[in-house]
Amino acid sequence: MVPDALAGFARVHADLVVHDETAGFFRARNPAAGRRVAIVSGGGCGHEPLHLGFLGAGMLDAVCPGQLMASPHNRQVFEASRAVSRGAGVLHLVKNYTGDRINFGIAAERLAHEGIDCARVLIDDDLASDSPDSATGRRGTGAAVLVEKVLGAAADTGLGLRELAELGTDVAGRCRSLAVASAAHRTPATGRAAFDLAEDDLEWGVGIHGERARRTESRPALDELVTRMTEELLAALDPGAGDSVIALVNGLGGVTRLELYGVARELALRLDRWKLVLERVLVGDFVTALDMRGFSLTLMRADPETVKWFDAPAHTPSWPR
Amino acid sequence: MRRFAASVRATEPQLTALDQRVGDGDFGTNLRAGLDASVRALDRTAALSPAVTGRAGGPLRTVATVFLDGVGGTSGPLFGLLLTELALAAVGPVLDVPALRAGLAGGLAAVQRVGEARPGDKTLVDALYPACEALRVCPEQVGSRVALAHASRAAWEGVRLTARLRARRGRASYVGERGRGVPDPGAVGIGLLLSSAGGVLTELPPSVTEPAPECPD
Repeated sequence: MVPDALAGFARVHADLVVHDETAGFFRARNPAAGRRVAIVSGGGCGHEPLHLGFLGAGMLDAVCPGQLMASPHNRQVFEASRAVSRGAGVLHLVKNYTGDRINFGIAAERLAHEGIDCARVLIDDDLASDSPDSATGRRGTGAAVLVEKVLGAAADTGLGLRELAELGTDVAGRCRSLAVASAAHRTPATGRAAFDLAEDDLEWGVGIHGERARRTESRPALDELVTRMTEELLAALDPGAGDSVIALVNGLGGVTRLELYGVARELALRLDRWKLVLERVLVGDFVTALDMRGFSLTLMRADPETVKWFDAPAHTPSWPR
Repeated sequence: MRRFAASVRATEPQLTALDQRVGDGDFGTNLRAGLDASVRALDRTAALSPAVTGRAGGPLRTVATVFLDGVGGTSGPLFGLLLTELALAAVGPVLDVPALRAGLAGGLAAVQRVGEARPGDKTLVDALYPACEALRVCPEQVGSRVALAHASRAAWEGVRLTARLRARRGRASYVGERGRGVPDPGAVGIGLLLSSAGGVLTELPPSVTEPAPECPD
């Protein structure tokens, strides 16, 4: 299924992307002229449009897709990074999962041996996996899209590797996400649900790989649900009255756009009540978990520069603006 | 390296049995596939001119690339990193004590940079770290064979101790308490690598395969 889908993607978006089938990566056909540092990301398939949909001028230079919900091999990351390096270094955007960290890390070691400078921005925005007992830390989820957009725009202005890495770490640190689901995704091989959930129940704090959440509870009304989610996110981000935020209302693959706009309304009302300035909102499927019936909310504390980079043009298969 | 391949071939059923208890059961198969491919690559390069094959660390470099590129899972490429550092440390055709020391320490540092495991997390670091320590205190005059014997003894002792640990990183961290009593397969791989330099090991040391006595944290 994955190789066919990747071939299809290459065919459909041939004006924007180039597929290196042997080495297992995609690169942007027409990156912005001013860019010096190459930005490389990747991760398991099943999260479309992440990351392939954000490949192109204004966002990513190369993407390494893994197998279904599995990290890419270090060889893919190494070859992709080498192919798009322009001599000013390569920045890896890595979602915090053990496999991704290790494979990108091994690739970085290999790049160092070849004299290619490499830095990493770790994306770890998921509140549900925020626990002092965990050695692995928060998972990386919805914030990946926002970080890719902001860093892509910044890189197009010609910033260097260290500046971008520092900016990326700062931006990633200003994002938190939380996801809920009322039904699991179906495992493609069997067509069966990855886990069972009663009709009126809700998984609170799911990830993007079909792993169960820590908590199952009976499903509250939408306004109550969004209120609780927003409050948890704001408690973690701790913005003050008058601060700016950018929001991502993200479908996990099995909810309609119509429902997501309903969620967006509730979120906007809560932010108004907290006297926060909602600068921009993205609504749609951006970081999915196959056809999981659920959604995630991501909030990013923004400043005028972040908003400017968010608004900068991007020519990729899936960036909506 | 050929002896390492022979050791892994001989002990693959034991390795697989270990990994079935704490991981997903593919470690022995992956390691064996990587080593078989390495031996084929070495055979191919042996046909080249001595100028190529005699380059310091050349054969190790060949094997490192096979592991980095071709071996599945996480531990295979981590072995590739270790072998890369050993190859980079080589100054002559044979690894002398300073090169072994520098290569193994460089490998440990690279593996830790990438995997972030510390001693006690129940990973291959638990074998590699004591081996590095043993080499660090080993005088240079003893020669590489004796130094390697020290290093592998320290590594196997580390492997034995992993059985008492609860995994904090790696695949074995998912089985929690159920992994208690089973040594870490990745650490066993390090033990085999180091003892293979001295000769072919056809079975794992009994202290490793016997279940460790239950002990509290």
